[in-house]
Amino acid sequence: MLKIRNGRDFVGGMSMICIGLLFIWFGRELEAGNSFQMGPGYFPRMLSLLLIVLGALIMVQSIIVQAEESEPDTWNWMAYALVIFAPVGFGLLLARLGLAPTMFVLIVGVAAASRYANWRHSILLGLFLSVCSVLLFTRLLSLPVSAFGPWIPFLGNV
Amino acid sequence: MDIFSNLWLGASTAFLPMNLLYGFVGCLLGTAIGVLPGLGPTATIAMLLPITFGLPPESALIMLAGIFYGAQYGGSTTAILINLPGESSSVVTAIDGYQMARNGRAGPALATAALGSFFAGTVATILLAVAAPPLAAVALNFGPAEYFSLMVLGLVASVALASGSLVKAMAMIVFGLILGTVGTDVESGTPRYVFDIPELYDGLNFVAVSMGIFGICEILRNLENEQERSVGVKRVTGLMLTKEDFKRVCGPVLRGTALGSFLGILPGGGAMLASFAAYAMEKRVSPNRAEFGKGAIEGVAAPESANNAGAQTSFIPMLTLGIPGNPVMALMVGAMILQGITPGPNVISDEPKLFWGMIVSMWSGNLMLVILNLPLIGLWVRMLTVPYHLLFPAIVGFCCIGAYSINNSVFDVFVMAGFSVIGFALSKLRFEPAPLLLGFILGPMLEENLRRAMLISQGDPTTFLRSPLSLSLLIFAGLVLALVLSPSISRKREEAFTE
Repeated sequence: MLKIRNGRDFVGGMSMICIGLLFIWFGRELEAGNSFQMGPGYFPRMLSLLLIVLGALIMVQSIIVQAEESEPDTWNWMAYALVIFAPVGFGLLLARLGLAPTMFVLIVGVAAASRYANWRHSILLGLFLSVCSVLLFTRLLSLPVSAFGPWIPFLGNV
Repeated sequence: MDIFSNLWLGASTAFLPMNLLYGFVGCLLGTAIGVLPGLGPTATIAMLLPITFGLPPESALIMLAGIFYGAQYGGSTTAILINLPGESSSVVTAIDGYQMARNGRAGPALATAALGSFFAGTVATILLAVAAPPLAAVALNFGPAEYFSLMVLGLVASVALASGSLVKAMAMIVFGLILGTVGTDVESGTPRYVFDIPELYDGLNFVAVSMGIFGICEILRNLENEQERSVGVKRVTGLMLTKEDFKRVCGPVLRGTALGSFLGILPGGGAMLASFAAYAMEKRVSPNRAEFGKGAIEGVAAPESANNAGAQTSFIPMLTLGIPGNPVMALMVGAMILQGITPGPNVISDEPKLFWGMIVSMWSGNLMLVILNLPLIGLWVRMLTVPYHLLFPAIVGFCCIGAYSINNSVFDVFVMAGFSVIGFALSKLRFEPAPLLLGFILGPMLEENLRRAMLISQGDPTTFLRSPLSLSLLIFAGLVLALVLSPSISRKREEAFTE
C-alpha cells in the first residue's frame, strides 16, 4: 500500500494535472497543425501535456519524499471571503452607485476583515479614501466614471 | 568617447524637470512601500501601472524604476529599526542591523545602508552603461531559434535560482505560459480559450493578473497572522560614521557591490539572492567575523550594497534582451509593451533617449534616495507604525480602481479577483507565484519565436541545435538544470536559503 508522505504536494500535483486536462479539453477544437506549420492549438496542447507530466512528477515526489515539518496554517475564512468578494462587489456596484459610494462600501466592508477593525476608524477611512479617489481619479485623471451613479437620488447623474 | 555622448543624451533626458519629478515621486513611493508593512514592490508597481499610461514612456519607466530601487532601500530601514525586513532582499540586513540599533547605533547602521547602496548603485549604473550596448549588439543577430533558446535559458535559470521545489517552480512556469496563450492567436486570428467573452479576445491583462496574485493575495496571507508592530527605536540620532566604521565598511561594500552586480545579471537572481550571498561571503572572509550576528557593521554594509547592485544590474537582461529575470522586471517589460515599445535589443538604437535616460535616472535616483532618506528618517520611523488594519483596505481599494482603469472596464476587476483566488490556492499548496508571472509575460514571445523558427526550418526541430549560438544557450540551460539537480549542490542551495 502506497503512503502519501506529503499531502500538500499530492494535491498540488493533482491540481496541475487537472489544469492541463482542462486546457486540453477546452482547446479540443483548436487546430494543432504539424510542427512545420503550427496551428493555434499546437503550443497550448504541448504545454498542457508538459504540465500534466510535471504534475505527475510532483505526485510521485509526494509519495517518495517525506514532507518537512511546517507550522500548520491558520485559516481565516471570514477575511478571505471579504477580501476576495470586495473587488467583485466593486465591479458590480461601480456603474450603479458611482465611485464615491462604491469606494466607501468597499473600504468599510474590507476593513471588517481585520481583527483590529473598529467601526469608527473604518467609516472615517472610508470617507477619506472615497473623497481622495474621487478627486484623484474623476477630476485629475478623468476616468470615465462619475462620482455618484444613477442609483443615488438627487446627486447621481443618470 | 561614445559612452560619454550617450550618457550626455541620457542626462539631458533624465534631468528634465518633469522626469526628475517623476523619478523623485518613484523613489519616495518606493521608500514608503518598503517601509509600510505588507506591501511589496511587485504589487505596488502593478497597482501604479495604470496611472503611468498617460505619461510619456521615459517618465513612466523612470518612475517605475524608482519605485523598485526605492523599495530595496526602504526595506532596509524596517529591517534595521524593527527587525522586520520590509522586502525579501533585506532579510539578512535585519540580523546585524537590528542588533546595531539595539546597541544604540541605529544611525550609523542606516547611514551605512544608504551610502553603501549609493556606491553600489553608482557602480552598477556604470556597468549597465558599459555592458548593455555590446550585449544588445550580439542579440541583434539573433534569429527566432536563438531567441527561443535564450528564453528557455532565462526561464530555466529563473527557476534554478528561486527557492523551493524545482519541479513545482517549473510547473508554475508552464502554467504561466499556458495562461499567456489565452486570447486571439496572432498568426491565425483564431480565438483561444475565450469562452465567447469579448474582453478575453485581447488576452488576460497582465496588470490585473499580477495585482491578483501579488497584491490581493499578499493581503490574504497577511491577514492570517495579523500583528501590530511596535518600534523600539523612537529617535534616530548620530547618523555620522566614525573613521573606524569607514575603514571597516570599505571592503564589504566593494565585495558586496561586485557580487551583487554579477548575481543581478543572472535570470532569477536579482536583489534577494545577492544580499544572501554577500552576507554569507562576508561571514567567511571578514576579519571581524566573530561579531557577526551581534551587530557587526559589515553585516549591514555587504548585503545592502549587494542588493542595490543586484537590483540595478537586473535591468541589463531586461533592457538589452527583453528577457525579465524577476517579477518586477516582468512588469517593466509589460509596461514597455503598453507604451508601444517592443522590449529587446532594438530598444537601445530605436529609443536611445528612453534607454540612456533610464540609466542616468538610476544614478540620480540613488542620489535622491540618500538625500531623501537620511534627513527624512523621522518621517519613515513614524510611517513604520501605520497600522495594517488601516492600510490594507486602501490597498484593496486602489487595486480595484487600478484594475478598472486599465481598459475602463469592470471585467479586469473580476480577472483580478479570480487570480487572487488562484494565487492564494497556489500559495497554500506552496507553489511560488513569481515563475508564473514570468511565464505569462514570456509566453506569447516564446510561442511566436518557436513557430517562426519551425517555419524557417520547415518543421525540423534540430534547427535549435544547428545554430551554434542556440546550441550553446540550450547546453547552458541543461547545465544549470543538471547543477541544481545534483545532490551536493541542492543541499548547499537549501542551506543558503535557510541561513
